[in-house]
Amino acid sequence: MAHAHSVKHHKGLMDWLTTVDHKKIAILYLVAGGLFFGIGGIEAMLIRIQLWKPLNNFVSAQTFNELITMHGTTMIFLGVMPIIFALMNAVLPLQLGARDVAFPFLNALGFWTFFFGGLLLNLSWIMGGAPDAGWTAYTPLASKAFSPTHGVDFYTIGIQIAGLGTLIGGINFLATVITMRAPGMSFMRMPMFTWASFITSAIILFAFPAITVGLVLLSFDRLLGANFFEVAAGGNPILWQHIFWIFGHPEVYILILPAFGIISDVIPTFARKRLFGYSSMVFATILIAFLGFMVWAHHMFTIGMGPVANALFSISTMLIAVPTGIKIFNWLFTMWGGQIRFTTANLFASAFVPTFVMGGVTGVMLASAPADYQFHDTYFVVAHFHYVIVGGLVLGLFSGLFYWWPKMFGRLLNETLGKWTFWTFVIGFQLTFFIQHFLGLMGMQRRIFTYLPNQDFDTMNLVSTIGALLMAVGVIIFFVNIVITMSKPKGVANDPWEDGRTLEWTIPSPPPEYNFKQIPLVRGLDAYWKEKQAGNTEMTPSEPVGSIHMPSASILPFVMSVGLFIAGLGFMFSRDEFSNSFLAGIFNNYVVVIIGLLITFICMLLRSVFDDHGWHIEPEELEEEGVKA
Amino acid sequence: MTVDHQQTDHDVIKHGHRHEGPYKHVVAFIFSIVLTLIAFAAVAAGGVNTTFTVIILLVMAVLQVLVQLGYWMHMKDKGHFIPILFLVGGFFVAFTCVVMALSWVWW
Repeated sequence: MAHAHSVKHHKGLMDWLTTVDHKKIAILYLVAGGLFFGIGGIEAMLIRIQLWKPLNNFVSAQTFNELITMHGTTMIFLGVMPIIFALMNAVLPLQLGARDVAFPFLNALGFWTFFFGGLLLNLSWIMGGAPDAGWTAYTPLASKAFSPTHGVDFYTIGIQIAGLGTLIGGINFLATVITMRAPGMSFMRMPMFTWASFITSAIILFAFPAITVGLVLLSFDRLLGANFFEVAAGGNPILWQHIFWIFGHPEVYILILPAFGIISDVIPTFARKRLFGYSSMVFATILIAFLGFMVWAHHMFTIGMGPVANALFSISTMLIAVPTGIKIFNWLFTMWGGQIRFTTANLFASAFVPTFVMGGVTGVMLASAPADYQFHDTYFVVAHFHYVIVGGLVLGLFSGLFYWWPKMFGRLLNETLGKWTFWTFVIGFQLTFFIQHFLGLMGMQRRIFTYLPNQDFDTMNLVSTIGALLMAVGVIIFFVNIVITMSKPKGVANDPWEDGRTLEWTIPSPPPEYNFKQIPLVRGLDAYWKEKQAGNTEMTPSEPVGSIHMPSASILPFVMSVGLFIAGLGFMFSRDEFSNSFLAGIFNNYVVVIIGLLITFICMLLRSVFDDHGWHIEPEELEEEGVKA
Repeated sequence: MTVDHQQTDHDVIKHGHRHEGPYKHVVAFIFSIVLTLIAFAAVAAGGVNTTFTVIILLVMAVLQVLVQLGYWMHMKDKGHFIPILFLVGGFFVAFTCVVMALSWVWW
C-alpha cells in the first residue's frame, strides 16, 4: 500500500524525541532513570560524607535537609521507577508476543511527562533551594509557614507532572496485558515478570490518584492560600499523612513487585528449572497488592490513632509476610536441585533473596505497634527500608539489567566487571545499612544533620560511610561496564543465555521494529522452553507473513510535556513579587500558566482532529531485512 | 499489530448485541426513569421524616448506578470481568479513603 512511502522516518535526535517504539522508549527511560539515579546517588554520598564523623560541618543543616528530601524523592520517583518502566517497556510486550504496547503514543507521553516532571523537581537546586520537608512532605513542616522557599512547590508540581507519566504508563501496561497477549497466551501462561508488571500497573492505577489529590491540596494550600492542612483554619495536618500513605504504602509494592517478577524470571533460567509454584506465585502477588492497600497507617503508629487502629494495622501488616514468605520459599525451591549457573544476573537474584528476607524481618518488627514507638524515626527504619528498596529492588534491577541487556542492546555486559560490581555493591550495601539497625536501636534519629561525639555513634557512622563509598564504586564499575560494552559491535544470538524460557528470547537481539515477523502461538507456560523440549528451534507462528501495521512517530508527546512544564513553573511563581515589571506581568497574571496549558491543549486538539492511521511494513520489506540479518 | 485478532473480538461483541435487540434497553430506560421519579416524588411529598427521605434517595441512587453500569455500560454482558474487577477495586480504594477521612480524621 501507499502508506509505506508517505511515512517520515526521523533520524538522530529527532528520532528519539518522536519515537513511539516501546524498545526505544525503554532506552529513554533507562537513560533518564540512570541520570536521576546518579543524581540521587551523589546526594546519598554527600549525606554519608556529612555523617562520617560527629559535629561535621561539610554541609549546613538546611542543605542536609534538602539533600535527604531530594535523595528520597529522586531515588523513588525519578530513579528506580523509570528503570522499572524501562524494563517493563523493553520486555513486557516481547514476553506477551505483542508488536508494541496498547497505546504507543501514550507510552511516549508517559515518558516525556515523567522526564519534564523530574527536570522541574531538580531545577529547584539552582532556582532558590530544593524541597526540604522530607520525601513525605509532612504538613505543617511542608506548609508555607515553615517552608517559605519554593522548595516544596517544586516537589508538589514536579511530582504531579511526573506522576501523570507514571499513571499513563500504568494504564498502558494494563491495557497491553489485557488485550495484546499472543494467541494461546492465557493469563496463567504469562511469565512472572509480566504478571508482576500487570499487578504493579493495577496498584499504580489505584494508588496514584491518592497522591495526585494530596499534591493538589498541598499546592493549593501553599500557592493559593487554601487551608486543607491548616489547623488554625479548621484543616487537619494528619489528613496529609493519611493521603500520603494511602498512596505511599502501595508505592513500595509498586517498587518491589517488579523486582519479584525479575528474579522469578532470572532464577528459573539459570537454574534450568521451571519456576516452583507458579500459580502460588501469581496468587501471592495479587494478595500482596490487595493487602498493600490496607496497611498504610502502620507508618503512623505514633500519631495517636488509638490502640484499636494500631492493633488492626499491626495485624494486616504482619499478614503481608505470608504471601511474601510463599515467594521466598518458591525461589529457594526453584533453585533446589537446579543446574545453577552463577552469571552476574543470577548472582544479583540470589543475593536478593536473603537480603530481602532481612528487610522483611525488620518490617515485621516495625509492624508491631508497641515496638514501633521505640523504632520510629530512628536509623532502624532507615536500615529497614534500604534493605527492601536497595537490597530488594535495586539488586533486582541490576539482575534484570544484566539479564535483559543483550535483548535491549544486542551486546552482553562484561561478566568480569559485572561480578566486580556485584561484590563491591553487595558488600558495600551490607556495610552501609546493616550497622544502621544498631545505630537506630542505640537512639540515633533519622534526618539529623549531625550528632555529638562519644555516644557510641562515631565508629558505626564511619563504617556506614565507608560502605556507601564502596556501593558508589560498584555503580561506577557498572557505568564503566556499560561504556565498554557499548563501544563493541552488536551481534549476540537470539537467546544469549541459551536457557531462555520466554518469548523475548525467540527473536533477534535487539528485536526489529515490529518485534515478531509472525505472532507466535503459545502452547504453554514458558512458551519457548516448551518448544525447545519438543525439539523445535523456533516458535510455531499463529499467522501467515503479512503486512504489519505500525504506529507513526510523533513530536506531540514531547511538546505536550513541555507545555505542562511551562505551566507548572508559571503556577509556582504566580504569587511572587518581581522587581522586573515584565516578569511580574507575565507571572502574576498567569500568562505563563496559560501559555503552557495552551501548548498542551493545542497538542491534544491536534491529536484529536487529525486521524493518524499509522503505516505498514510490507512482507517484501520483511524478507529484505531477513536477508540482512 | 494484532489487527485481525481485535477485529474478531469486536465482531463477536457486535454479534451478541444484534441478537439482543432493543427490548432490554427499553426496559432499563423505563426503570431508570421510574427510579428518578420515585426519588423526586419522595422529596416532593415532603414526608414527616427527613431521614426516611434520605434513605429512599440513597437506595434509589444505588439502584440507578447499578442499572447504568449493568445496562448502559454493558457490565452485565459477557467479557466484562476485568472492567468489573477494576471498578470494584477502584470503589474499594475510594471507599477506604472516604471512610478514613470522615471517621478518623474529623471525628
